[in-house]
Amino acid sequence: MTDSVKFAIKDLNFFYGDYKALADIDLDLEQRQVSALIGPSGCGKSTFLRCLNRMNDLIPGSRVEGRILLDQQDIYAPSVDVVSLRRRVGMVFQKPNPFPKTIFDNVAYGLRVNGLKNRNELRRRVEWSLKQAALWDEIKDRLQQSALGLSGGQQQRLCIARALAVEPEVLLMDEPASALDPIATQKIEDLIHDLKKNFTIIIVTHNMQQAARVSDITAFFYMGSLIESGETETLFTRPKLKQTEDYITGRFG
Amino acid sequence: MERLHFHEELEQLKLTVLNMAALTQQAFENAVKAYINRDVDLAQKIIDGDQEVNKIELQVDHQSLRLLALEQPMARDLRMIIGNMKISNELERIADQAVNISERTIFLSQYSPLDEIPAMDSLIEISRQMLKKAVSSLRDMDATTAKEVRNMDDQADESTLQVLKSLIEHMVADASAIDKRRLKTRRSIQTIILSRCLERVGDLSTNIGEHVAFMVEGINIKHQKFKEEDPES
Repeated sequence: MTDSVKFAIKDLNFFYGDYKALADIDLDLEQRQVSALIGPSGCGKSTFLRCLNRMNDLIPGSRVEGRILLDQQDIYAPSVDVVSLRRRVGMVFQKPNPFPKTIFDNVAYGLRVNGLKNRNELRRRVEWSLKQAALWDEIKDRLQQSALGLSGGQQQRLCIARALAVEPEVLLMDEPASALDPIATQKIEDLIHDLKKNFTIIIVTHNMQQAARVSDITAFFYMGSLIESGETETLFTRPKLKQTEDYITGRFG
Repeated sequence: MERLHFHEELEQLKLTVLNMAALTQQAFENAVKAYINRDVDLAQKIIDGDQEVNKIELQVDHQSLRLLALEQPMARDLRMIIGNMKISNELERIADQAVNISERTIFLSQYSPLDEIPAMDSLIEISRQMLKKAVSSLRDMDATTAKEVRNMDDQADESTLQVLKSLIEHMVADASAIDKRRLKTRRSIQTIILSRCLERVGDLSTNIGEHVAFMVEGINIKHQKFKEEDPES
């Protein structure tokens, strides 16, 4: 394993009760790269994503086997503080979910939870996060207005800003643009390009063209197994396996 | 999520290019036949028929552009479209060579034939075989046959060189009879151009083979020696 590997997944199996949702996954995810997870509905890609910051811990009866190493440390080790893990590995969901608070308070929320009280520092970090999320110029004059008044695309970028505020190392994105119009989608995709300079990004998407556009590495999941992974350009022009080819060319029956 | 409609359209594109290949191959075969038999009528028919191939090329461009723009094809589908576009371009140029050969034939048929040019038969045969193999690799999507086409290219080049040497000898012979020599020179030059057309058909057939290999295997083998790119050979 090289130093550039952010997440190393070793022989991962995941169960919802008796149902095995992920089987024998081995995958390295490089830092400061965008990795896309693709596959049909129910293939396990979102389950896999949620394993990476232990969001599945919240599901009763779920169970993980194998190891997931973040910077070579097992995130499922008993000593790991899950809150601290989720600060390092942030998440953005399919549907924008701003809190019913002001724009400023949304972004400052995680910082306050983490004990930051200094107003100047809070202001500085909120501005930095909103700039990172390419939202600052659009909303800088209405920081005290409700976040619920923003458009869908702006709300999603606000959620990205909120995730970035606590300065995570990894950003997990679960279909972040699927509820957005093409212009807002384009903005999110441009944002992903910019963010990968500083963050490791792992994105689940149903839109294969989006995976092709935004990611460096693509992993194809099917029925709980990782079928093929590799450079996005190669996977979308010359996949190694017929199963991958059949999926990306729409020949799946 | 099967993309039945898209794949039907893709199949239609393949059929259009195969139809174009059949017409082009027929034009070239007839051009060679017209040259051998000094058949001016047949040569003229080939010249008149070239518009059909040109029309199909435009149709392939249109169909391909449409599929690229509207369907965002991936992997082998993407390679099929790109490959078919390139192949239709090569076929159009081969059809142009058939026209060029026919124009030389019409000129040459006005005069008595030149002395026998031994390498011409083998040049005709090798260029015919190269095109035939290229078209059959396209029809069967067979990368092995496709790669074999370029292995024949050296033979075509060698035959072209031999034809050239023979014709230069023709031109310098009979230096005393000036008028006769001028006529022989003109016929020889026209025949040199014709041999160059045959060689170009071999080159363009090689290109088709390379495009087919790319469509099937996704590997670009252009500008590489056959043995270098195939680690198993």
